[in-house]
Amino acid sequence: MASLEGLRHVSIGQYLPTGSFVHRLDARLKLAACVALLAALLLARGYLVNIALLIAIIGLVTAARLPLSYLLASLKPALPFIVILTVMQLLFYGRGTGGSAVWVEWGSLVISAEGVQLVVVSLIRFIGLLLCVSLLTNTTTSSALTHGVEWWLRPLTAIGLPGHELALVLAIALRFLPILGEELEAIGQAQASRTITTGTVSRWHFMAGARRIANLIVPLFVSTLRRADELALAMQARCYQGGKGRTQLNPSNWRTADTFAALVAVAVLAVVIILRHFPIP
Amino acid sequence: MYDSRNIRRIIVAGLLLAITLLLAFTRIGFIPVPTPAANATIVHIPAIVGGILEGSWVGMVIGLGFGFASFMQATIPAFKDPLVAILPRLFIGVSASLVFSAFYRAKKQTLYIVVGVLTVLVLAVVLILSGVFPGLLANIQSLSEASAGIAAFKWWQGLIVGGVTVALAAGLVFWLRKEDRGIVATGLAAAVGSMTNTVLVLTMATVRGYFTAGMSLIIGLAQGIPEMIISIIVTVAIVAAVRQFGRRKARL
Repeated sequence: MASLEGLRHVSIGQYLPTGSFVHRLDARLKLAACVALLAALLLARGYLVNIALLIAIIGLVTAARLPLSYLLASLKPALPFIVILTVMQLLFYGRGTGGSAVWVEWGSLVISAEGVQLVVVSLIRFIGLLLCVSLLTNTTTSSALTHGVEWWLRPLTAIGLPGHELALVLAIALRFLPILGEELEAIGQAQASRTITTGTVSRWHFMAGARRIANLIVPLFVSTLRRADELALAMQARCYQGGKGRTQLNPSNWRTADTFAALVAVAVLAVVIILRHFPIP
Repeated sequence: MYDSRNIRRIIVAGLLLAITLLLAFTRIGFIPVPTPAANATIVHIPAIVGGILEGSWVGMVIGLGFGFASFMQATIPAFKDPLVAILPRLFIGVSASLVFSAFYRAKKQTLYIVVGVLTVLVLAVVLILSGVFPGLLANIQSLSEASAGIAAFKWWQGLIVGGVTVALAAGLVFWLRKEDRGIVATGLAAAVGSMTNTVLVLTMATVRGYFTAGMSLIIGLAQGIPEMIISIIVTVAIVAAVRQFGRRKARL
């Protein structure tokens, strides 16, 4: 039962209002800059570029006055898993393709320079991506984020794809997340009052585990889909006509700082792509 | 232009996306199983349900959300790569939707014939590969010089694969006779959707060099099979309750 408490406090990347200049940047820009940084992280080759990117991202996190330990706290429970996977990757990577130097060889286990680089780079990349995504969600409110997404999806509307509808899907999801959390909590308590336990079982009885989860999930789906009918009726009654001619309550305004930040993000991505063609360690 | 069907699609996609995020960001979406990875996910089930109830597009949008959630939450480096975490997830709902509509619209007789033909095909391939007709096998092997995928079976391996195939086919036919067509279509859609998730994700992870092929195969078998069973049970329960298929019709 204790596991069901606190479901209503579900939030993805809790918004942390520290009022830094990163918070004041336009949501549209932050989305694009985040994507650019993610792309840069995925495209970066070699130790130097990756470390430089990581330092830049940590700099941004500090500038946004977000506590670094808070952002990395989600890693803690998974730490043993990461270590095991890293070691396995290191041992079983093999010789690699480029005929790189072999550092340790013991039977079929080979640790090559290329393998070490792969492991270190994927770790850096991993932490960088985590920080980058947290940076976006921790400095932007969900409504600003939704409007940002809708703005970026506008070109889709021009070629006939449902850009506005996709943004609406996102808005509905974010709006109903806490409500469904409460609902799930209520269902859990209702089932418990009927002596249907919803807690965890031994992992060997996973079929029983599945049935217990089904006791929670099936009523949740059924009530959610019933709610969908009501919501559809309500929207029809209010003559919902899609995205055409809709206005916003708080239209965001683009400032000089946003242009500057956009240029920096594009420059970083461009530099990383150019550096791919040079043999940098 | 803006019909109620369209509004309903948007809303179902939004609400199922919310459930996906809810399952992903609390620990409810993971069932402990006795495999090395320790948890089977049910987070992909909303994508399958969305695909079955409202079609491919809704399934794809929810799959995108699932991919994004797993990307955000990833604790293994492989899943911090959007090509591994997000791209394969788009197809869960799509494949589930296609399988469901194909099987739901078909007549039972057609389904029996399809199952029969598939079984005969698999058995024929197994027979050839297990070396009953040596000449044929040699031809196939010379066709594929690498012959990495089509390594010859030993006779007992052929027997096991053949047996499993016949058992699966018999089980399916028995199920079709006993149950409502909607239930069978839902179950198959859930199985295929779940398999899409496992196979595509591991393939991408292997292609991108995070796992070796052997690791992927072991994870796939250990993780994919319990996940598939669980997703069949849960999805059939949900869709049957919502659409009122089968025996539940009488009760409600």
